[in-house]
Parts: sequence; C-alpha cells; structure tokens
Amino acid sequence: MTSFVVGLFGDPESALAAAGSIQTANLGTPELMSPVPMEGVEEVLGEKKSVIKRFSLFGAIFGGVSGFLLAAITAVLYAHPTGGRPIITFPPYLIITYELTILFGIVFTVIGFFVSARLPNGLWTAWWKQDENRPYVPEAAVDKFAVSVSCASNENVQQAETILRTAGAEEVRDLTEEN
Amino acid sequence: MDGELNQLKYTDIHNDVVRSIVETGPNYYIALITAFAFTLICFFFPWFYQLYYGIGAAGMNHPGVWGTYLASFIFWIGLSHSGTLLSCVLHITNSSWRKAMYRSAEAMTLFSLVVAAIMVMVHVGRPWFIHWAAPYPNQMEMWPNFRSPLLFDVMAITTYLTGSTIFIYMGSIPDFAAVRDRTQGWRNTMYSLMSLGWRGTDTEWHRLHWAYTFLAVLIIPLAVSVHSIVSWDFAMSIVPALHQTIFAPYFVVGAIYSGTAGIVTVMFVLRKFMDFGQYITELHFDNLGKLLLVLSLLWTYINIVEVFTGFYSGASGEIEALNYRLFGFYAPLYWEMIAFCAIAPLLCAFKSFRTSFVPMLVLSIAINIGMYTERFLIVATSLSRQYLPDAWGLYVPSAVEISILLGTFALFTTLFLLFVKVFPSVSMYEVKETMESPKKSTPAASEGSPA
Repeated sequence: MTSFVVGLFGDPESALAAAGSIQTANLGTPELMSPVPMEGVEEVLGEKKSVIKRFSLFGAIFGGVSGFLLAAITAVLYAHPTGGRPIITFPPYLIITYELTILFGIVFTVIGFFVSARLPNGLWTAWWKQDENRPYVPEAAVDKFAVSVSCASNENVQQAETILRTAGAEEVRDLTEEN
Repeated sequence: MDGELNQLKYTDIHNDVVRSIVETGPNYYIALITAFAFTLICFFFPWFYQLYYGIGAAGMNHPGVWGTYLASFIFWIGLSHSGTLLSCVLHITNSSWRKAMYRSAEAMTLFSLVVAAIMVMVHVGRPWFIHWAAPYPNQMEMWPNFRSPLLFDVMAITTYLTGSTIFIYMGSIPDFAAVRDRTQGWRNTMYSLMSLGWRGTDTEWHRLHWAYTFLAVLIIPLAVSVHSIVSWDFAMSIVPALHQTIFAPYFVVGAIYSGTAGIVTVMFVLRKFMDFGQYITELHFDNLGKLLLVLSLLWTYINIVEVFTGFYSGASGEIEALNYRLFGFYAPLYWEMIAFCAIAPLLCAFKSFRTSFVPMLVLSIAINIGMYTERFLIVATSLSRQYLPDAWGLYVPSAVEISILLGTFALFTTLFLLFVKVFPSVSMYEVKETMESPKKSTPAASEGSPA
C-alpha cells in the first residue's frame, strides 16, 4: 500500500516551508503542485537539472547534418549542371541546413520536455484518466499550493500530516492507493 | 495594469477565462456562422470555380503572372510575424505586459500561416500537385531544386508553422489542465487529452520553463529567416525594382509592422467582445502604439532608401520601374500606402492617441490596408514594367481574385472564432504570475474567508 499525503496551502511560502520540513524529516522527497511556477523551490528541495538542452543540441545537429545531406545527396544523385557551376553549392544549401537545424531543434526540444517532465501522464493506463500513482488535486490548478509526499507506512502518514498541519495547511488529504 | 490586476484574485482570472470558453452567447454563433458563410461564398466557391475553369479565371496573364494571390501570401506571412516573434522576444526579455495578450497573438500567427499556405495552393492553380514541392522518393525520379528560393520557402514556412504550433501548444498545456478540471463531457475528454495529464508539479514547471525558453530562442532567428526567404522569392530574380539587397530587412520590418498592427486589432476585439478589459488594458495599447511608431519610422526609412538607391543607380530599368510606381497607373495606391503606413502612424507619438482604443483600432486597420497595398505594388508594378517596352502591361485583379482576397479575411476570422472557444485566449498562469501571489492569511482573516 502506498499513501500519498497532500497538504493544501493558501500561499506559496507556507507550502515551501512545509516541503522543506518534510524533506528534513526524511519522509521522502515532497512534490509541490501550484497554479503558477513557484520561486525558491530549488533553494528548498535542491537544484533541478534537465536534459532538455541535450535534446535540443542533438536535434539541432541532427537536423543540420540531415538538411545538408538531403540537399547535397539529391544534387549528386539527380545532377543538374548549371553553367559549369559546382553540383553541391554551399550558399543555398546552408539555408536548407539552417531551416532543418531549427526544425529538428524544436522537435527534439519538445521530445526532451516530454521525457524529462514524464508527460503524457496517464494516457497509457486509462486514456484520459490521470495516472493514479501520481497524486493530483484540482485546486492546485486554480489558487492553492499543494505539497504531496509518498508514505510507505501509517506512522509516516501521521508524521507527514502533523508536519503539514503545523506548517499551516488549510486541508490535508490522504490519497491511499492499493498497488 | 499591475494596479488593476492586484485587485483581482487567482480565481477571478480562472473564472473569467473558463467562462470565455464554456459560456457561448447567441452573438458568438451569429458571428461564427456569418464568418463561415463568407468563407464559403467569398473564398471556397470562387476557388472551386477557378479549379473547374482553370487559372484563367484569375486576372493573371503575361506580364502580370503574379497577382493578388501572391500579394495575399506575403501579406498573411507578414501578419504572422509579430505574434510568435514578439511573444518570444518579450518572453526572453521577461516583459510582463506580454502575458495577457501573447496567446491570442500566437494564434494570429498560426492562422495567418495557415491562410498563407492555402494562398500558395490557390496561386499554383493545380493544388493536387503541391506535394511535388516536398522531397520524397517517387517513380518519376523528380526531386525539388534545393537551389530555388521557392523551395527555401517550403522549408522555412513548414518549419515556422511547426514551431509556432508547438510554441502555442506548449504554453497552453497548464491552462488546458486548469480548464479540464472545470469542464464535463466531451470538453473534459478533449482537455484531458490536450493537457497530457499535467499536474503543475515543481518538476513540470521547471521543465516547461526550460523547454519554452529554448523554443523561443530557436524561433526568433527562424521568424527573421522566414520573411527574408519570402523576400528572396522576388529579390533573387533580375526584375527591376525586385532585384534589391535591401529586400530581406525590408520584408522583415514590414512583416513585424503589419503583424503588430494585427495584434492591436485582435486585442481590441478580445477586449470588446470577450470581456477581457481587465487584462488587456491601456498599457498594452500604449506599448503596442510605441512599437508601431518605431516600426513605422523604420519602414519609412527603408522605403526612402529603396527609392533613393533606385534613382542613384542610374540604371534605366530601375528608374523606369520607380517612376512607374511613384507616378504611373498604380501611383494612387502607392501614395495611399505612404499615407497609411508612414504618415498616419505618427499619431502614435501622442500618448492620448496610443491609449485610445477606437483610434488605435482604426489606425491598425489602416496600416494593414497600407501593408497589403505594399505587397500588391511589389508584385504588380514590378512585373508591369520590365526591361523591354513591348513586354510592358497592366495587371488588374479579376472578380475571382478580389473575392478570394476578401475570403481570406473571413477564413482567418472563422479560424480565430473557433480558437477562442478551444484555447484559453488569455494565458491564465502567466497572468497569475503578474499578480501579487497570495499571502499567508491570519487566523482572523481566514475565519471570514469562504471555504
């Protein structure tokens, strides 16, 4: 059995403080949910690193190489000599290279975002239902700031609830899921 | 704006935007049906007529083989420029005033690009062969010529359309999730799928921030390249008045200029008819007015340079083409363009003008009429006066072309009206970011607050 204890806060500062206390108490890494990006999360929960830039770089390089090869190989295979000029002409092919660099850079950035943000979430399990192993509270999309922590035992659940209430949670929910 | 926004709560913006999607009055349906009917009558019927009788139904013939279809193509590509480009620039420079208006501006980009792409199909006459422009193995062993600016166009516009679609979608994911929780039935299913299970976790926000910033960085040079490439469709030819090195910056500035004017028009409509007056304020019109003033001065400068270098070149072909544009058959259109795009925007020097909504709307429409005229003049006057006098001739658009031109506006309006009922047209989470975040409530205050 895995329990998710979620505390709902009316302001971001209290939610951040609660997340810090949960982490200090070694109850696991808390997850924050909010209607807007919260400032100061990294100071409390540690620095976040993302692999998106690597995806972007790979996509851009892949696109650039593909773009140039597409134009150059086409020119070689279907040669169309013009006034004794080179078959592979760099100035126009650089434009194709540039456009495909950007195109694949964009596409791979999106793939990097999906991979690193673990999205889509739940589509594979029940189409349009949320993945139930990832807690969600709709209020966090409107005006509440939620702190969620996964607890393996009843003792941890009680401890987490106490910390959240002490930090000023307006409401604490126990989202228990049978695995 | 900040003062007005600070009087609002997170729930206010949430309710206002969700209401704009789920509550639909009769006026909306009347507007949608009217726009769709105009699209059918003015755009699709004439197009089908042209497909049935052939491209001769249009007024294009030697020497005016390019007409209003290509002028419309450039116009709509240009109109697409300020939406995503301005949004990206303002995102990177962290300009908070962007946040209430960028979603609709990006939608303007997207639909302008769609209309522009359709105009290419209308222009080519046999759109069922449009796939020949794409590089794919085929039994004819026919491959596109990668040295042609027309193929540059295909690659650039495909990339820009893809980038703009992804950019507006990525920025909307958190708002789709917020709307998902407030809707039922098919809407709930649609927004659940579109939001991809977004929960608003700290990790998701972090990843979205980085991805969105990378996309903005990639799209800015792309947007500049797109209209440069469109200009090379003309500048790479050896036609007098088209074969000019200044064409790329001229087109880019013109595109941003007309796009910014388009944003003013769209903002007015959203403010007036979608009740977003609290979010789209005088500040937005003031800033957009300043931008229009700067762009109009840049545009005027480039026009002066174009005329000056043409005369200074001493080349008879260039001088003839310029004389013809300034004093020939199409001269009234040229001076109308100067009046609308170079002189009228000087009113934006006055703050009282910039912060007046109706005058700004009138100016924005005038600028875009002028900018359409500019594109028409580039195409029509240049081909009408080439090197040899026996190749001179007039181009006058046919009724089919004029109808299709008007139909493009109806098509754009139809797409935009559909957009406002699917996408949150004001970005909820970004407007919330500009508002003061909720403060820790005291026990006394919380007792009185609603549950």
